[in-house]
Amino acid sequence: MIAFNNVSMTFASGTKALQDVTFEVADHEFIFLVGPSGAGKTTILRMLLREQLPTAGSVVVNDVEISSPSFSKTQTYRKTIGVIFQDFKVLPNKPVFDNVALSLQVSQFPKNHIAEEVEKALELVGIVDKIHMFPQQLSAGELQRVAIARAIVGDRDIILADEPTGNLDPQTTWEIMKIFKKLEKQKTIILATHNADIVNSMQRRVIVIKNGRIDKDLKKGGYDL
Amino acid sequence: MRDTLTSIRRAPYQSLASFLILFFTLFLALFFFNMTAFFNGILGYVATQPQVTVYFQTETKQADISQLKQQLEATGKVARVEYVSKEQALTIYKELNKKNPLLLEMVSADILPASLEIFTTKPEYLSEIDQYARQQAIVDEVVFQRDIVDKLVSLTNNLRRMSLLILAFLVSTSFIVLMTTSAFKIALKKDEIQLLRFLGASKWYIRRPFLHEGVFFGWASATFAFMVYYALFFYSKTFLDSYLTGITNLPFFGLEAYNLYVWPPSWEYIGLTYATIVFFGTMIGFMGNYLATSKYIKI
Repeated sequence: MIAFNNVSMTFASGTKALQDVTFEVADHEFIFLVGPSGAGKTTILRMLLREQLPTAGSVVVNDVEISSPSFSKTQTYRKTIGVIFQDFKVLPNKPVFDNVALSLQVSQFPKNHIAEEVEKALELVGIVDKIHMFPQQLSAGELQRVAIARAIVGDRDIILADEPTGNLDPQTTWEIMKIFKKLEKQKTIILATHNADIVNSMQRRVIVIKNGRIDKDLKKGGYDL
Repeated sequence: MRDTLTSIRRAPYQSLASFLILFFTLFLALFFFNMTAFFNGILGYVATQPQVTVYFQTETKQADISQLKQQLEATGKVARVEYVSKEQALTIYKELNKKNPLLLEMVSADILPASLEIFTTKPEYLSEIDQYARQQAIVDEVVFQRDIVDKLVSLTNNLRRMSLLILAFLVSTSFIVLMTTSAFKIALKKDEIQLLRFLGASKWYIRRPFLHEGVFFGWASATFAFMVYYALFFYSKTFLDSYLTGITNLPFFGLEAYNLYVWPPSWEYIGLTYATIVFFGTMIGFMGNYLATSKYIKI
């Protein structure tokens, strides 16, 4: 379970990114984080990645306070998290297999199981036939599938997706959302997006952020800013 | 290895700069290492030679020489005195000039003087013995090696100091060049490093390819420096031979038991220099990139 307890974040310049944010996400829950640009969605994801620490409050993941300055297992913790970015961050000089396998190599996954796990993940996202191709040979949708495969492969339980469909056409966006739908029973997914269509059609929990505060937390919400 | 070669291909000029500065540093390190070892060997060689050699006039009788020998031994300042007869002098002369038959013609035992080779118990007795020998009427010439030894010691010390200074400068330059090129490569891989951090890679995991590259550069430039050095050395060996006639074997810091000879260099010694220079090179490469990754990769 993920819990944000009265989390605030004020930058050195005085800008308040988050103010008194409190919410919980159960295991294997799928939530959308929505809100205008600069509302604080990415700051929440960065805190979950432990890239940023709150100036007040606490972030607890599976009963461990990861926001504590004394928390020393950042790398081990990050191995339980899969991240998906708007710009894919697929390494251009490595083929699809290597890009996905990287996630397992970092986790020191047994070498003889890596190929099997990578194929399974690519099968799930529907591009197992592109396993030996280089990123330059793939479309934007396929690149995002590679990024999703990299995020879900192995034992990563929490998926953080920051505008994963931001660079995709509507058709590909729906294909990517189908993949998230397939994953929601196995993983906890937090997806930050601007896309009203996908939020409205998925009918999952929606947390609306405005000016660094939680504006709404709807069990089965739509995109209503 | 594949990652290292890819990294070299992606930044060829930076890689060449790292390679060349390491090559230059290691080539000079190898040169100074060999020179220091060589001069040390020469010092050892000179120490085994008589410290004072007294040459007698050709008509001097052996009985007079024996008397002087006894007088010297009676002083208590002499550790050993060896008599070299005219015949022995001829044999030594022939051995030293065996490659030059022209010098052997017209030479007979009659024209070579007999001599006493004197080894003192303490270096400070050398001048006293020298003075004493010169006062004897039967003595033709006294060769006193203290100056040579002093000059050699001074030369070796200066060489050691100078090589340390030059090497310190070159090693610092190598570090700076390696750190700068690594910083550039780290900047090139910024996205990859960020991704690895998000995936939970340890600092060591992220650093590893950079450290491998540093070690690879150290090894490659050390091997190249070694090959160039010994190619030049063996090319000029005939020339060096002509200067070092008479010096048969110079051990490396007294390690002749392991067949380690600086001159002429034994295979064991050549192997040792390769191992030393590779170790030195890989350490510079490793440390340079270790410092660069410590400075520029934040986890």
